[in-house]
Amino acid sequence: MTFEVLDPTHETEAAALTRAPRLASLQGATVGFISNGKQGVREFLDALERELRDRHGVAEVVRTVKTNYSAPADPEIIDRAREWNALVAAVGD
Amino acid sequence: MATETRLLGSRRISLDDPADAQEYFHSRGWTDGLPVVPPTTAAVEAALDWVGMPPDQLIGIEPVRQRAITAEKVAVNAVMAGCLPMHLPVVITAVTGMLHPDFEVHGPTASTGGSAILCIVNGPIRRELGMDGTFNVLGQSDRATSCIGRALRLILINLFDVRPGGIDRSTFGHPGKFSYCLAEDEEGGAPWLPLGLERLGGDADMSSVTVMAAMGPRQIMNEWTTDPGEILDTFVAEIKANMLHYSIWHGYYAICVPSQLREHFHRAGWSKADVRSYVYERAFVHRRQWADVGKGSVVADRGDWEYRALRDPDHLLVLSAGGPAGGFGIVIPPWLGHKSKAVTTPVGACVDC
Repeated sequence: MTFEVLDPTHETEAAALTRAPRLASLQGATVGFISNGKQGVREFLDALERELRDRHGVAEVVRTVKTNYSAPADPEIIDRAREWNALVAAVGD
Repeated sequence: MATETRLLGSRRISLDDPADAQEYFHSRGWTDGLPVVPPTTAAVEAALDWVGMPPDQLIGIEPVRQRAITAEKVAVNAVMAGCLPMHLPVVITAVTGMLHPDFEVHGPTASTGGSAILCIVNGPIRRELGMDGTFNVLGQSDRATSCIGRALRLILINLFDVRPGGIDRSTFGHPGKFSYCLAEDEEGGAPWLPLGLERLGGDADMSSVTVMAAMGPRQIMNEWTTDPGEILDTFVAEIKANMLHYSIWHGYYAICVPSQLREHFHRAGWSKADVRSYVYERAFVHRRQWADVGKGSVVADRGDWEYRALRDPDHLLVLSAGGPAGGFGIVIPPWLGHKSKAVTTPVGACVDC
């Protein structure tokens, strides 16, 4: 005898959520930062920007800040992201 | 009686018996640690029948990963929480409110601040479900209230992946994260206009559910006056304490006033609006007061800045609730500031037509 129950979890992810192709190199790339806007994230992103420029040859770092740290990134930021080769979404506290 | 065949989309899992199902669910992190009612196809179909919804009825979109939250999955989790089919309209309405953009569900469910979702039920559906807004109203007051509040937590766990250490980053959390639901006492003592009608208008035959991102309840006591202003001064002192000890930022606060105290407001002719305006005017602190509670290092040169608990008097939810005896009161502070707004949704209303 078996007892049948239903899976209570979310089973189907939106198809759009697939990983972008990886970059072979960051040399000359434009990298966008999306900060959640909390104080603690600034120092982290400062250090990351130095690393990316000095050690990986990143050409430009574009910094954006969400208007609400609890909500998804603003549509304007998502629009700008199309111009970037890579982005870092950073959560500080 | 012939029943409509519904095509449930959830994966079916074959197990040995109900005891096996308990262990299977616990081992996968699908519970709150307490036993669950195994969600069988029959139980979930009965719940969907009650609300007359197809399994794939869209209740809302989870905002971060754009997950479609369907009636079927809400029903599965409600069954697990112990809900009867007749409880499902309240659960679905609460989830609809949680997924309203104003609620910003990700913040209060993920934050280190550790809030729970307070669910306030108004209208005739309370009585149909046997929800009791009197004795032990913030404890285990009755079956429907306990199970409906628990269902919201299981939905967060299983449909939003809000698990401790995962998306839920709460430092402490609080006991309301098991279940944090109450029905307003619309009949007892000296009744006030119920919250749902205050916020939505409408007729007395409308039921509604309000959700608010809320910290744990803080109990006050003042049995030594009949003056409404003095009674509210005690509530205000607790709000100010929360602003200094926890978060100084304005947000939505709820207060529960039991019938023993409501009698005094009734005699003096104070409405809920009068209460809101009294509290709004007095619930503020100055930044320099942080120095009194060990936070002097962040006062800086802004000591004279004034911070209000409420940006607007309507951000105070005044609730008739509590047992008939006792000059107590409850202050329920917001999660953290105003980023999550309290949302009131009518039960059974079509939200997309």
